[in-house]
Amino acid sequence: MSQVLLELENVSRIYGDEVKVYAMREVSLQIRAGDYMSIVGPSGSGKSTMLGLLGCLDLASEGIVRVQDQNVASLEDGDRSRLRGDTIGFVFQQFHLIPHLTAQKNVETALLYRGMSASERRNRAAEAMDKVGLSKRGAHRPVQLSGGEQQRVALARAIVTEPLMILADEPTGALDTKNAANVMEIFESLVSPERAIVLVTHDLEVADRAHRRVSMRDGEIEADVAQIPPKRPTAREADETTPGADA
Amino acid sequence: MRGWRELFGVVAAGLTSRKIRTLLIVLGPLLGVSSIVAAVGLTNSSKGALKARLAELGTTLVIAEAGGSFGAVQDPRFPEDVNERVLALETVEGVSGITQMSGMAVRPHAAAEDEFRTVPIPVLVVEPGLLDVINVEMKYGRWVNDWDTTRNIRSVVVGPSLADRFEMLPPDPERDAIELRTILVNNLPFAVVGVLDRFAFDPDTFDNAVFLPQGVAEEEFDNAPEPSILYVRTVDGETQRTVDGLANAISLGGDYETAVDVPSDLLEADAETDKTLRNIVVMMGALALVVGGVGIANVMSISVIQRSSEIGIRRALGHSRSRIGFQFMLEAMAVGFIGGVAGVLIGAGVIYAVSDFQGWIPVVDWGSSFLWVFLAMAVAVLFGLYPSVRAARLEPLETLRLG
Repeated sequence: MSQVLLELENVSRIYGDEVKVYAMREVSLQIRAGDYMSIVGPSGSGKSTMLGLLGCLDLASEGIVRVQDQNVASLEDGDRSRLRGDTIGFVFQQFHLIPHLTAQKNVETALLYRGMSASERRNRAAEAMDKVGLSKRGAHRPVQLSGGEQQRVALARAIVTEPLMILADEPTGALDTKNAANVMEIFESLVSPERAIVLVTHDLEVADRAHRRVSMRDGEIEADVAQIPPKRPTAREADETTPGADA
Repeated sequence: MRGWRELFGVVAAGLTSRKIRTLLIVLGPLLGVSSIVAAVGLTNSSKGALKARLAELGTTLVIAEAGGSFGAVQDPRFPEDVNERVLALETVEGVSGITQMSGMAVRPHAAAEDEFRTVPIPVLVVEPGLLDVINVEMKYGRWVNDWDTTRNIRSVVVGPSLADRFEMLPPDPERDAIELRTILVNNLPFAVVGVLDRFAFDPDTFDNAVFLPQGVAEEEFDNAPEPSILYVRTVDGETQRTVDGLANAISLGGDYETAVDVPSDLLEADAETDKTLRNIVVMMGALALVVGGVGIANVMSISVIQRSSEIGIRRALGHSRSRIGFQFMLEAMAVGFIGGVAGVLIGAGVIYAVSDFQGWIPVVDWGSSFLWVFLAMAVAVLFGLYPSVRAARLEPLETLRLG
């Protein structure tokens, strides 16, 4: 059995004091190294709440969230931030690149305050940019990049720290078919026995590509099943079938 | 250390990415500091020449005048051995007496009698040692000497304004030699042997005066050898003790009345800047600094909202709340520093420009500049505190708009 990277134990997220609203109710989940999973569900099912809790961006109202056996709630903000930076790489639907920094500098931002020299940061960022096929676009600002390229920069930023878990929120939601396929190919290339990849999405095609699917409804896990992903067209094949799709 | 360097890099990138916004924030501390520096500097510069002169002349000169407050003695004089009496004081370094003669007519030449008949020109009988005591240099030529005094030579020295009025000064005094010639004192020709430089403590008298050696004054005009005014140079820091003991040292129990005056006191009072005016302008500058601070708070608060996505992603990448707060705090501090330094430089520029225009000696208190820069940074930090705390408290979940 592979190592448990992240674990939710009877976790609830409740908003409001007098009138309590459960965004998530008594959810238990284990994410292991090597997992390539999707979390799916309609709007209001608790996906975003789940993502906040998995990413240590939010704290559970009840229950325990453990990252590598550490209870997240027991950590001070500084330690929790460090744990988040060291363990989790984020990819967002809206890319969230810092507009005044170049693509390369955006990737380097993830390596700040880790005791690295500037040249080490530069080299590692360049390596990550190379992995996502953007080695020649490092000097460009986000506004000079296409949506697909911006998402690949965001992917480079997520992997540059070599995190144990990549957490992606609707990673193809703002992309056309070709770029979506391209990004998904990169995700699939990142699957490894040491790392977990979690895609939070309402796009069933994206969810189908994962090896495990967690379905949510009304703040609870409805199903958690292993699946064999069907064969999907590659980016090149998608390009051939999408008239006028740009890079 | 490396973390600090990285943080400074993030701050620099944040400030340089939106130059216009940064410039607007910097304007607050810049205007405040520049107005304070200019206000203090200009009020000091307006008195700078006087202060410089005072520093040169020192505050150890004491003037004693025969007569004093009581008694209506006609033409009061000190005793003949007054110099020895004064030098007996251990606080005195030097002394020299003068007498101002009355009823004297001075003209540049005979033909100018009508022109100068009604012009009062002081005639002062002086000793050779006077210049050492009053610490004034010759502008041209030489001062009266022992030879003039003992041999009753008809030689005189004139003040700089009188030399100018008698048209003795060449058109370009820097380049051309002065034409020393004779003048008439009570219709007797006297050779002008020198022109005295300006004497700041008593320019009205000295600059327009004719200085006669004692010997010839006695022989030609029956002037008594006893002086009526004494110039006393004291040891450093002993001015007040000299003032206290001078009258007694001169009278030695006799009935000599003496009025003692320290001329630098008057000059010092004159050189004192108008503190009320300066304080008002400094307060206005401080107000500008505070208004600038409010501007910093406003623009930075807006900036925090505009950069909420950046803050959210930095938090997601592992930057702690305190680091985010500190980043914004450092930005405020940098804005205060840049505004403060630029304010000092612009303020100094204003001082130099206005002083040049007005003919003042520019006085820039560079030592206080550190204080003003520190004040600008303190104001920036104070007003940057709220937006910084706000930035630190932003919830990444809200700023990243997940799902």
